[in-house]
Amino acid sequence: MNQYFLRKESKELNAFPHIVEFASRKINVIQFDSLKKQVSGFLCFYYVIDGRFDWMIEEKRYILYPGDLAVILPGQRFGGEKDLLDIGTVSWMHLELEHLERNGKIAMGRWSRLSDHECAPIGRILSLNNCPVLSEVKEVGQLFQNMHSELINQEIGYTVRINQMIDELFILMARQLTRQNSSRRDFPQTFMKLEQSLRENLSHQWTLEEMAALVGLGTTAFSEKVKNYTGFSPLNYLINIRISEAIKLLKRPDVHVTDIALDVGFYSSQHFATTFKKLTGYTPSDFRKKNIPQTD
Amino acid sequence: MECIITIEIGTGSIRVTAFDLNGNLIGSSKGSYPTFHARPDFSEQDPEQIFITMLYILKNFLNEKIHSKKYQVVSICFNSAMHSVLPIDKNGVPLGNAIVWSDNRAKKEADELKSCDLGKALYNTTGTPIHAMSPLNKITWLKNNDKDRFAATKKFLSVKTYILQQLTGEYVVDYSVASATGMMNIYSLKWEDNALKHAGINNENLADIVPVVYSLKSLKKEYQNSLGLHDNVKLIAGSSDGCMATLGAGVWGDGNATVTIEESGAVRVIGKEVLQDEKQRLFNYVLTEGNYVSGGPTNNAGSAFEWYVKQFGDFRKAFDLEHCMENLITEAVKVPAGSQGLIFLPYLQGERAPIWNANARGMYFGLNIKHEQQHFIRATIEGIIYAFYSIGKTLEEHRSFKSLSANGTFAAYPLWTQLLADVFNKPVQIKQSSGSDSVACGGFLVSATELGMYKNLEEAAQKVKLLDGFHPQQQNHAIHRRQYAIFERLSTKLFDEFEDIAGLQQNN
Repeated sequence: MNQYFLRKESKELNAFPHIVEFASRKINVIQFDSLKKQVSGFLCFYYVIDGRFDWMIEEKRYILYPGDLAVILPGQRFGGEKDLLDIGTVSWMHLELEHLERNGKIAMGRWSRLSDHECAPIGRILSLNNCPVLSEVKEVGQLFQNMHSELINQEIGYTVRINQMIDELFILMARQLTRQNSSRRDFPQTFMKLEQSLRENLSHQWTLEEMAALVGLGTTAFSEKVKNYTGFSPLNYLINIRISEAIKLLKRPDVHVTDIALDVGFYSSQHFATTFKKLTGYTPSDFRKKNIPQTD
Repeated sequence: MECIITIEIGTGSIRVTAFDLNGNLIGSSKGSYPTFHARPDFSEQDPEQIFITMLYILKNFLNEKIHSKKYQVVSICFNSAMHSVLPIDKNGVPLGNAIVWSDNRAKKEADELKSCDLGKALYNTTGTPIHAMSPLNKITWLKNNDKDRFAATKKFLSVKTYILQQLTGEYVVDYSVASATGMMNIYSLKWEDNALKHAGINNENLADIVPVVYSLKSLKKEYQNSLGLHDNVKLIAGSSDGCMATLGAGVWGDGNATVTIEESGAVRVIGKEVLQDEKQRLFNYVLTEGNYVSGGPTNNAGSAFEWYVKQFGDFRKAFDLEHCMENLITEAVKVPAGSQGLIFLPYLQGERAPIWNANARGMYFGLNIKHEQQHFIRATIEGIIYAFYSIGKTLEEHRSFKSLSANGTFAAYPLWTQLLADVFNKPVQIKQSSGSDSVACGGFLVSATELGMYKNLEEAAQKVKLLDGFHPQQQNHAIHRRQYAIFERLSTKLFDEFEDIAGLQQNN
């Protein structure tokens, strides 16, 4: 097994300003403080090749075995449970993206071929994911190995290939994360998790692609399953939740109608009023007048 | 042409169904809403989401199937799940989510009441067994544990009462849903003072009790406009899903009982006599003045089989749960009746009738080295049917019946229906297939009776055409009778062990 340690300043990485660190190490002897718990500003991937690693991510303990991948977001605290690297072999990469915010807003940078459209669900999956460890993703090990040999050999087209492989890493990760989170056996349970995410981020302008990606399905299969289970298309289901939440707020005298529209995810109060009236026959302000006694 | 619409506000979904005046199905449409479990024993739903889902489904259904085909809506009948509690404030605004039927938070309140004299007296006057799901105990729980909400509450409604109030402004609750609250005197058809006193409320805090054929004030103008309905469309209070599944299955009077197999299930009869069970195992809900739907519910019907399918089904070959379920049932058929001595106790979620033991748990009993997966599948289904039989047997201590009428999602599987026939040793009839479920059909009969098409519900029930479906096979019955004897003994013999294991699980 090749060991290597490349950093931003290494000449091999000249063509890749977004790769902050790329390394693989075999640990034969335990060294204290070899992996101290700390917060980094980068997106970090740690892949276990062999051994057993005992790590802490955001105060939670994870044991990783060969084939497992830890994904640590910028701002998250990560390190060895005992602040050290256990015996075994591990590869890692730290990436600096153009930006990746806590709410899932993501921009890869110019090196990536992933469109904004495809990035949005990836960012959201990363931000909503509460299990930062992917198990049995051997493909990641293979990707790291191929990336390394491309870097060493620098044959024609190697920059394109390496960047493609990083894109591939993101795709792999997103698909695996959603599959891990949703069980084919229990769509109702999967749907409940999605429904909870929708409610928690109701003001977000959800797209069909994002929702489907969150449960690990393609958009066609997703729409069909949701329609089957709820009787609604995904977007209509979303409108349902929005109007229900809006009704609750309309029945409270202290919230302004314009704020309600935006809070529950309509892009304008006009859009809210039209949708609301079409369904209930009331304009939002009429509905409020008829449902709570006016103080003035 | 004129049509009748029924709306079923179910345990997790709304179903809108339309019939022509001859009872032929025009079409139906369904939309679901989630149940929230803030704590393991809590089950709540958002009343506004239920209301909006109902409006949405109804509006689309009317546009696609009714208005476009030039049907005139004569009436809309509302049937709903039982046991829900929705507190509202002085302005009629919900105070939080509705506590729905399956919520078990009031277990302690129920246990306390059940063991005292008041509990026994209340069972006799209200006909409802004292258990955690009944609104009497849920309201008592609010009084004891959620004092602010209790103090701010002007009225405690059922979900259906809230929906009807949103549509018309009127606060009403029908006989059937009211009698399932455990607070209505089933003889006087008024709220029972002793029950209200126990819950710390009075008449003002509850909706007005009305007959199931009661017709409400007309729909509010705004909803008339958005739904495209005239103000002469009658809104009918309707009944509970359980009572309607019984009526809609054509069961009335002596000789016949109905078995409903959904996620949960029940065995029920309709009659003029209240079944006073000394051990409080059976419910008696009012359908009309002097006619009662009596029976016993089980927690573990389709849900227990779904559990099995999710854990052990082969999803590589199946597209979804339903498909996987069908594959397993095909496997189960390959094993002889009785699963060669493997017995399943289906009490995965505790059990109501007849053992009324929330601590009861599931078990496979009698495993030997020759049992294969197919035996497990068949034993699982058989165990579920044995639980139905244990309810039927209890019912028969009070009233005998010669045949069964089966309905519900799982009664559509011939293996299940044949098992019912074999285990009960009675012929099982099914409703002549018209594509509509029994609850909707019951709703149609109530509406048609209100319109004067039938003299009363009894006459209406007799119009339901039943198909002679499944006859008991004596050989199989003999096997099941021997196995059931063991099933029944295990269900009570393990009382102490159930309690211990439930206690152990609670601490995990």
